[in-house]
Amino acid sequence: MKVEGLQGGWGEQLVLDDVSFSVEKGEIVAIVGKSGCGKSTLMQHLLGLVKPWRGRVVFRETDIWSSPEAMQRARRRWGVTFQSGALLGNLTVIENVKLPLKEYTDLTEDEIATVAYSKLDTVGLADFADSSPLEVSGGMQKRAGLARAMALDPEVLFFDEPSAGLDPVTSAHLDDLIRSINRSLGTTVVIVTHELASIFAISDRVIMLDAEAHGIIARGTARELRDSSGDSRVRAFFRREAAEEGKDS
Amino acid sequence: MEVVGTLLDKLEFDTPRIFVRGVLEDSETGPLRDFIEKHRREVMDSGQLIVDFQDSTGIDSVPAVVLYGFFKELRRAGVRVRIENSPASVESIFESLAKFDSRGMEERRRSSFREVVEAFGSSGYEFAMMIVSLTRFLFETIGAFVQLIMHPLKIRWQMVLYYMEESGYKAIPIVAVLNWLLGVVLGYQAGYQMRVFGAETFMPALLGYSITWEIGPMLAAVLVAGRSGSAYAAEIGTMQVREEVDALRVMGFDTFSYLVTPKMMALLMVMPFLVLLANLSGIFGGLLAGTLFLGLPAETFISELGKALIPLDIIWGMLKSIVYAVIIANVGSFMGMKVRGGASAVGQATTAAVVLSIFMVILADALLSLLFVHIRPGLSM
Ligand SMILES: Nc1ncnc2c1ncn2[C@@H]1O[C@H](COP(=O)(O)OP(=O)(O)O)[C@@H](O)[C@H]1O
Ligand SMILES: [Mg+2]
Repeated sequence: MKVEGLQGGWGEQLVLDDVSFSVEKGEIVAIVGKSGCGKSTLMQHLLGLVKPWRGRVVFRETDIWSSPEAMQRARRRWGVTFQSGALLGNLTVIENVKLPLKEYTDLTEDEIATVAYSKLDTVGLADFADSSPLEVSGGMQKRAGLARAMALDPEVLFFDEPSAGLDPVTSAHLDDLIRSINRSLGTTVVIVTHELASIFAISDRVIMLDAEAHGIIARGTARELRDSSGDSRVRAFFRREAAEEGKDS
Repeated sequence: MEVVGTLLDKLEFDTPRIFVRGVLEDSETGPLRDFIEKHRREVMDSGQLIVDFQDSTGIDSVPAVVLYGFFKELRRAGVRVRIENSPASVESIFESLAKFDSRGMEERRRSSFREVVEAFGSSGYEFAMMIVSLTRFLFETIGAFVQLIMHPLKIRWQMVLYYMEESGYKAIPIVAVLNWLLGVVLGYQAGYQMRVFGAETFMPALLGYSITWEIGPMLAAVLVAGRSGSAYAAEIGTMQVREEVDALRVMGFDTFSYLVTPKMMALLMVMPFLVLLANLSGIFGGLLAGTLFLGLPAETFISELGKALIPLDIIWGMLKSIVYAVIIANVGSFMGMKVRGGASAVGQATTAAVVLSIFMVILADALLSLLFVHIRPGLSM
């Protein structure tokens, strides 16, 4: 997957300018940066929710914005986990997981149930299948959202702020889950976060955005950026992590 | 602590001085004002003032701004004001007062008449833009609707049934009762006035016509807008806030056929019957008013009504209700889709949905009445 010369924003407000990067098959790329730097905006453009002003989002050699069919083909191979889980509140947890299976496969009811339960089991929520999404915890909602995103065995999984609103333990647990899915299924992962613990725990590569620069100011592994970046903004972002590590030891 | 400013012995000083001692606190603002009042003339006349903080350690913001105002007034009058021996804390307070000196005036200027006019203009502009995007929304819904009609298997019947129950079946009691009540009131009032001319036998015709052409369809539409238009906006708005709409889109669902068309289809199917119910209840109310209050026997009422009404009267209301159904379902869904941000935006969207759909329903009714009033032959009484 590749992003080329992407420019975008909201109304008149330019948020991202000339952003280019690529994501290789099977890697975990973290898009990081301070609040307001445009992570969510980039995600909206990547996922085909908001049209970028300029540039291309290429998936499997095709710009997803080139036609509705291209968009639909890409979406069929993607799974997205939203910040809040974004489960449909009027369905149960298991019905949410079944949703894409019902829509896109010709499996029987029974087969759909089997697949859906196995996905829910992957994220450890088989016991909560019949709960309403509104009555389970925030961490569970995100995991259920992950199960739904995985329903059709996507090639790429997107995560928007998986740690947001979670305590550190739950958040670390979710990170482990993402890592193990990536390892065992070879799923490519694009994750937006500002949580340093997550960045270090799971990312293979980091792309750092900055609000003033309207784009990418650094790329590399998390350790490279922390230890040998010449850019003071990058160092400042990672300094808090250094402080936290000091506190832990 | 006190303000010591006994504006001072002109033998010792040729310049009036205010000495501030200790901390000049909030509570001393009153005495400070009195002090200023008392000595203003004197200071003005001398053309100079020295404020000496030699023995002071600080000043609160409220007395500081009063003092600052006094300095400004003096300077404007050409009086030289000098502050001496002020500690850093006092200095920084006066500095920051000076920095934001004109803020209040700017704010006032911003809310001036011109601002108000501009606000009107821009809210008018926003309203126009909203109508434009609502129209675009309507076309998209109709597009999705036509698609679905051509592929009826894709229609989400379960949802359509759900909304038919929520918006139609559950609205039956309120639509029936309110229209019945209004029928009673109208029948009684009209009959009471017409009796003066001995014309109460015309009441059934007038009542039947008013109810079938205006009041029945309109009241049904207002009730559905209040019950369901708001519910649609709240439902979709909440889904927006919880990112559920985005989730549907990235899963490749067409949000129009998933969220909007089932609602519109349901309303299209139930509205005509709600209007029929409204008409019958209203007329029944009129009949009751006739027999109870006006001594108009039920048989007379019915035969008079039968002479006056034609099938078009009943059909017309049901036809109008199709337009109302499209308006209510689309305005409600549109307002829900427009929601950005948090829970308060959902509340605003529901209110806006009700107000705008009632407005549009009445507008549509007016247009339809103007255009089609002549298709009905005159009442035969
Ligand atoms: N839905 C939106 N509508 C309008 N402006 C937005 C919206 N989302 C974000 N923005 C603006 O885009 C800029 C980048 O924000 P965002 O992408 O949310 O940053 P991040 O996710 O990195 O915190 C901000 O200035 C923000 O105000
Ligand atoms: Mg964000």
